[in-house]
Amino acid sequence: MSDELIRLESVSKFYGRVQALDDVHLTINDNEIVGLLGDNGAGKSTLIKIISGVVPLSSGQLYWHGKPVSITNTNDAIALGVETIYQDSALVNQLSIARNLFLGREPLKGPRILNRMDKQLMEEVAARLLGEVGISKNIPPKTPISALSGGERQAVAIARAMYFDSELIILDEPTNNLGVAETQGVLRFVRNARDSGHSCIFIAHNIHHVFQVVDRIVVMRRGQVVADDIDPKATTIEEVERVITGDLDFIDGEMTASAEAAASAGARTGV
Amino acid sequence: MSTTTTPETAGTPSSKKLAERFYRLIGAPEAGPFALLVGAIITFTLLNGAFASTLNIGNLLAFTPELGMVALAMTLLMTSGEFDLSVGSVFGFAPVLMWFFFNEGIFSLEVAFIITVVVAALIGLTSGLFVTKLGIPSFLVTLGMLLVVRGAALWITQGFPQRTWAAEGAILADILVSDFSVPTPFGEIKVYMSLLWFALLALILGYVLMASKFGNWIQAAGGNPLAATARGVRVGRTKVSLFILTAVVSAWSGVTSSIRVSAANPNSGDGYELEIIAMTVIGGTVLSGGKGTIIGTVIGVLLLRVMRNGIVLAGAPALAYKIFIGAIILGMMALHSYLQRRQRAIA
Repeated sequence: MSDELIRLESVSKFYGRVQALDDVHLTINDNEIVGLLGDNGAGKSTLIKIISGVVPLSSGQLYWHGKPVSITNTNDAIALGVETIYQDSALVNQLSIARNLFLGREPLKGPRILNRMDKQLMEEVAARLLGEVGISKNIPPKTPISALSGGERQAVAIARAMYFDSELIILDEPTNNLGVAETQGVLRFVRNARDSGHSCIFIAHNIHHVFQVVDRIVVMRRGQVVADDIDPKATTIEEVERVITGDLDFIDGEMTASAEAAASAGARTGV
Repeated sequence: MSTTTTPETAGTPSSKKLAERFYRLIGAPEAGPFALLVGAIITFTLLNGAFASTLNIGNLLAFTPELGMVALAMTLLMTSGEFDLSVGSVFGFAPVLMWFFFNEGIFSLEVAFIITVVVAALIGLTSGLFVTKLGIPSFLVTLGMLLVVRGAALWITQGFPQRTWAAEGAILADILVSDFSVPTPFGEIKVYMSLLWFALLALILGYVLMASKFGNWIQAAGGNPLAATARGVRVGRTKVSLFILTAVVSAWSGVTSSIRVSAANPNSGDGYELEIIAMTVIGGTVLSGGKGTIIGTVIGVLLLRVMRNGIVLAGAPALAYKIFIGAIILGMMALHSYLQRRQRAIA
């Protein structure tokens, strides 16, 4: 077992009187890709918003490398090494690849008072990173994001996370709206990121994509983590789907008929 | 500048590269207004030789910097995704306040000016905080501020213009708007200090927008505030500081104008906000934010001034000026959207 990177202890979150997270315990280790699955409203986005500092938790505690930490805003999360790549809001379309890569952490050159960006350095690094992340096409770093395809945009966002040595990269629906080839590209970027020492939380509606890339699957239901160590190699997509819908439970490494499903659908045939 | 050698263009004939560069050039947002500016200057010169006279050029350049400076600041504000309708009111209010302090014997002219600038900064700060902290659209916030500030100017003066003639010889007047003659082969052109301030501000803000880290934040704040926030960009603070900048420049310009024309009228600057926004969007800055160009705004400023001046000299009724300006705005917007779609098609 590798070392733990981030741990959530008894984390709950209320939006007014609505409970979005209910006593969540979850550990993400170094160097692994964790697939986070769950139906709409299961609490996935609230969970990642808490880790990335977009919303504060209501109760509970976060640990980073075993030490208690508090993440109250996005800058706290970035400072720790958490990089969140949201579906549509990761990049600024009007800005170039190089300017996006360094947004918020622009390298400066010359006297500080001039506040001058080191554009040459930014463009050199951007060109190198695009190669590293695995974009085959030769795209000039001055290209605006609006001219890129969906997969290329994900690549830029992932390259940024890798460059800034984010230990934890959270990908929210990175394969949404992508074609087959582009999806394969993005999955390759994610694997490259893991192989170079980053951990990832991978959220996707398409379970097939999750199965192709993750080391471990976590399932959420109604604000709770109901399974946190499903091995994609030892289970089927169908079983995981049934855990998501509440048909099956995953307890001690075994798939079992869930108590609630049995109670509510006692007459149904099958498992 | 970095020299990037792209392998795929290395072997192609240079004519193709030239054509590419040409298309990129005419695809630039500044290209349309620039062509129109050149066309307007040529047309007006042909229609009436007096247009290109040194006297007229001097006149043309006298008022240009006053609106122009505000348009430069507005360019940055609009790039960050906001705009300010209260600039015309601040333009009228600032000199009224300064001359009130001075005429009542409360402060010297210079101290009154500094206090006026601080008050303008507070006006910008207030608008900025309303927009960023309360999430109210800048249209509504600055519309309210327009009325408050104009009302304050009218109330302080009880509607009467302030005396301004004591500016003669004051250091402040020399710094802001003293005039001098520039010899040219065609005769001497009268130039005001304010033109130099305009040029300096254009250089500084152009640099800030394109080369500085803050400029990157401005563009990101307007382009995708959520992404910018997620990257640790202080979107709110960026916008507030631009509201302050715009208000301060408006006050500066208003004071400059009052000294030049020797009048501090509480109604001056009325309607300038729309002309300033027009100058900015004609130049290619996007109203919805994310994209702005200082060069474009300089062209937009010159274009509107040339049109106003040239139409009168060409014998068209002065009141028809607004028709032309409106038509130019519509034409430019159509051109920008056409070029944008075209560029997207190429990419």
